[in-house]
Amino acid sequence: MAQAKGILQLPDDPRFLDMAYDVQGPVPEEERNLLSNLNPQDREIAIKFWESVKSDFRFNEYLRGCLNCGVCTSGCPAAKFYDFGPREMIQYMMRDEVDKIWEFTNKKVWACVQCYTCSMRCPFNNEIAGLIMVLREYAVKFALPSAKEILAPYRRVLYTVLTMGNQVTPDMIQPDSFPDWGPQAVEESKNMDVYRKAIPVDLMQRTDIGWHPSLQTAVEMMTIMIESGVMDSLKGVDKDLYDMIMDIYEERKSQLEEIKQKWEKGELDESELPDSWLDL
Amino acid sequence: MAGEKVLVIGSGPAGLSATKELRNMGVDVVLVERESYLGGTPKKLKYSLLFPELRPASEVLDPLIKGVENSGVKTYMESIVEGIKEEDKGFTVSIKDKSGKIVNEKVNAVIAASGFEHFDSRRKYEYGYGIIPNIYQISDIERMLSENKLVTTKGTPPKRVAILLCVGSRDATVGNTYCSRVCCAVSTKQAMEIKERVPDAVVHIYYMDIRTYGLMEDKLYWKSQLEYRVGYIRGRISEFMRGPNDTVIIKGEDTMNLNRALVVPYDMVILANGMELGLGSKQVAKTLGLELEEHGFVKPLDPDRLPVQSTRKGIFLAGAITGPKTISDSITEGYAAAMKAYEYVTRGIWDESDFAKKRIEVTHH
Repeated sequence: MAQAKGILQLPDDPRFLDMAYDVQGPVPEEERNLLSNLNPQDREIAIKFWESVKSDFRFNEYLRGCLNCGVCTSGCPAAKFYDFGPREMIQYMMRDEVDKIWEFTNKKVWACVQCYTCSMRCPFNNEIAGLIMVLREYAVKFALPSAKEILAPYRRVLYTVLTMGNQVTPDMIQPDSFPDWGPQAVEESKNMDVYRKAIPVDLMQRTDIGWHPSLQTAVEMMTIMIESGVMDSLKGVDKDLYDMIMDIYEERKSQLEEIKQKWEKGELDESELPDSWLDL
Repeated sequence: MAGEKVLVIGSGPAGLSATKELRNMGVDVVLVERESYLGGTPKKLKYSLLFPELRPASEVLDPLIKGVENSGVKTYMESIVEGIKEEDKGFTVSIKDKSGKIVNEKVNAVIAASGFEHFDSRRKYEYGYGIIPNIYQISDIERMLSENKLVTTKGTPPKRVAILLCVGSRDATVGNTYCSRVCCAVSTKQAMEIKERVPDAVVHIYYMDIRTYGLMEDKLYWKSQLEYRVGYIRGRISEFMRGPNDTVIIKGEDTMNLNRALVVPYDMVILANGMELGLGSKQVAKTLGLELEEHGFVKPLDPDRLPVQSTRKGIFLAGAITGPKTISDSITEGYAAAMKAYEYVTRGIWDESDFAKKRIEVTHH
């Protein structure tokens, strides 16, 4: 008897309700789909991961049902280029397929570009892109290797977003960084500094920041990031970056505190302050 | 009994059959019709063949129209019911014609049979209906078929045709979460008609479920495959693009295979647009003081037991005003409403049900 071996046993999964299944075990194609090579450790995390996603307060609101119409996948820009489709994910979720969700989260979920076309067109009003967002959030929270891997090239982006509240800076346009932007971007990147200085708005004349929050805004923003748990998520994925940003936060906070105290005592000489607090 | 009078609103299949039956039973009928001809939507949009018997629509409608025309019914054409007032044993209704002239009629009962309207596919903006050439609705194709003018903008018959089901039905994005019931059968019928006229044409139907219910399964769904080799592809198209040479490029997913995207050019695309109550029937419902149910159709007193009685005493319902219906269903309901109205005006019988007052739990969208 070819007993189904190393298979994740889910009582509600229709695949295990087939009466011949106990005797026959999975057919080769199923075997591939069942991810029977998932080791017990991973399986444990997979179940824990899926349980957390399901218990998220948004989950039941976002996942409503599925007509299997394929509108989400056919309108999906990412599905065109990757082995990825929103319908696939919704189906796994509807069927409670832990193993497939685990595979999807580790391999495919990062292909989504969050354009929300699927959510807009879904005839069942599923919030599909939102569900992808939830999966991603939990992938980061669980510090999954795929999340670490995918976020590694974005350290700089994360750094700017979390410290300056803005993701894109002009000097990111480098000749080799965005080949899909075409030859024009290469040309533009050469004199970015000059272009930037020519902008007659006071704040926009440097190329290393996108915009320029005040010191107080920056500190408040970072406080929000810490209090709302964004920094905690980051801690698991990228400890170095977390430490760095926390250092910056402490430093800015003490700077702000210092200026405040001086101002309260009436000792603050505003002409001594630099034009940009970044030069403090 | 003498002098009993019933007002029938709408002269589609339901209104005509109700009128005919009432006349046969010796009841006077006042018929109000918005258009300048009898026959309702099937006549207005010039339906070609009717499913599932594949016979010309005129074969079914013309006897009804003739029967009413020759029965001495007082008919108000190009008129609408403007107001209604309850009076001792009946109603006084004011009927307004096109020029704004108002006539009052005293009637004992009312049959509202003002029917449905086709969903306007322009509301599904991503389908580009009305913008991209060679995209039609099934309601447009019926006319093209009956006038024998099934051609693309190039003036030639289409060689590759795609039919997309469930446009404006089963779709929460436009607020219609119900199935319009007839579009599967109509589309399958049209696919066969197209193959009959253009035998070398390739016809694909994009579907989620084929609902050629009851006896239509083999008469339409099976027949279209056995005899006409119509192709069925499971998946809903998400958008259309204008292709070269006035072709239409569809974007869909073949949901029988995972993540299999389809980008296919066609000469002609047909949208199987569903049914809605429409503005005409909404006006009728508002004037008569009828309640609407959760899908926007008019609510019957009891959908199972008393489907042709409205929630207001003395007013009866027939046809697609209470939900998507086939022509034969509408004719049947016309007969039923006529019978109920006859009982009411001659003997005052009005069945009661508290169903409409009960709160019904439906899936919230």
